[in-house]
Amino acid sequence: MRTLWLAFLYRILMRPALAILGIRIANKAQLPKKGPFVVVSNHNSHLDTMALMASMPLRQIARCHPVAAAQYFGKNQFLARLSTLFVNTILIKRQDENPDQKALEVLDAYLRKGHCLLLFPEGSRGIPEQLQAFRSGVAVLLQQHPDIPFVPVYMKGMGKILPKGKKTLVPHEAFVQFGKAHYIHSNDISQILDEVKNAILALQDELVP
Amino acid sequence: MRFEHLTAIHQMLLVILGVLVFASCLFWIMGRIQPGPQVTELQTRTRSWWMMATVFVTAALVHPLITFIAFGFLSFVAFRELSRISKNARPEDRGVLFWAYLAIPVQYTFAYFAWFDAFLMFIPVVMFAWIPFVLVLKGHTQDIARSMSVIPTHLMLTVFSISHLAYLLSLPELKGLEVGGRGLLLYVVFLTEMNDVFQFTWGKLLGRHKIIEKVSPNKTWEGFLGGLISTIIAAFLLRFLTPFSAFESVMAGLLIAGTGFVGDVIVSAIKRDFGLKDTGTAIKGHGGILDRIDSLAISAPFFFYFVYFLHYAS
Repeated sequence: MRTLWLAFLYRILMRPALAILGIRIANKAQLPKKGPFVVVSNHNSHLDTMALMASMPLRQIARCHPVAAAQYFGKNQFLARLSTLFVNTILIKRQDENPDQKALEVLDAYLRKGHCLLLFPEGSRGIPEQLQAFRSGVAVLLQQHPDIPFVPVYMKGMGKILPKGKKTLVPHEAFVQFGKAHYIHSNDISQILDEVKNAILALQDELVP
Repeated sequence: MRFEHLTAIHQMLLVILGVLVFASCLFWIMGRIQPGPQVTELQTRTRSWWMMATVFVTAALVHPLITFIAFGFLSFVAFRELSRISKNARPEDRGVLFWAYLAIPVQYTFAYFAWFDAFLMFIPVVMFAWIPFVLVLKGHTQDIARSMSVIPTHLMLTVFSISHLAYLLSLPELKGLEVGGRGLLLYVVFLTEMNDVFQFTWGKLLGRHKIIEKVSPNKTWEGFLGGLISTIIAAFLLRFLTPFSAFESVMAGLLIAGTGFVGDVIVSAIKRDFGLKDTGTAIKGHGGILDRIDSLAISAPFFFYFVYFLHYAS
């Protein structure tokens, strides 16, 4: 049921809408066919989550969860319900420094069940086209699951369509570039973080225009 | 059934089909004799032509409303492409672009209901004032003059000019011309695109003397003149789509070839300014949408007023 609902929402409604806004998604066929995997992307706009959800393989879509800040999307029960219903999110407490132990346990449990996580390690949307420092939560998760691949995604121009703090959508050409699934090599948190970051930045050069 | 017994539209469809089949066969044979990246590129381009021709013919012939929506969408995509490649847009211009996009359905509505005066003045008068005014209201004057000139120019190139193609369908019926505006639409689009192909082909075959090397290194006098003569011949042969006399059709060919060239080099120069070869990757082998309609951006309004003053203005 949930698969049908999300498939309708993201395949039938969201994909054409994103295309009209000018968002082009490349190489999404490189996504693993089966979970668990972790998608990591840079973050400039609410549309980032929409574009990622619209690219997930159909059979997996109900098992793909964008991870979002509870402070923002879970201000009250109603909002929290809505974001789960429409975006399939997992809400966690956003920490500025050390990752929240309880949040990590929740995400860990999802990965063990074979679900996929969509993570924005920058934490918030920030200034358009500028990469902010990565939070370490993603590295902790990958360190615990070295057998789970991560898929880097680089997005460009999304902040021009719907920037932080704006309510109107203005069409603009934007690009979403999926990379190959990677496995981490290192066991050290800061080195894992660098691996993830470099994998995302490497996609910058693959962007066609 | 003989060719002369078909309606003008069907004759034109056969011509388009013939050109595409000819090109496909030619490049297939060339690929067999002498394979190479150049032939492969020509084959990719031809395949894209098949697709574009199908979309265009469907949009032009199914129902007038579909034609207007399709051309409105074409303007939209071209404007979107142009505003991405213009790197000097400021973040503050976002709100203004919103108004610019809104202008597209308004302009095409005027065209659909044949409100000629509103159609004519909306972008050059109303939007020309409204866009700078909204920019002023934002209050940032740094580099504002550039945005004031760039955004209305983009609207003129992609919306005002292309909407003239759609307006051809809103022209009143002429006595003795059964095809009506659709014939004119097929005529100007086919000839403008063929002129690009002719210029490209003659340039490859004979090109020696560059016209404006710094802007467009592939443009040669041989290509331009070869294209001009070929287009004039095609314009003369296809005059059954138009109310033109033989002399008028020759002039129309001259006009389309000349203004098509002007549009082509204007967009080339814009691309040069932003350091690009093609405006995008939307059409395989052709670059972006803009690379395909750059010539039309100038030839469409010129052709429109040419036929308008000769046959429609009383």
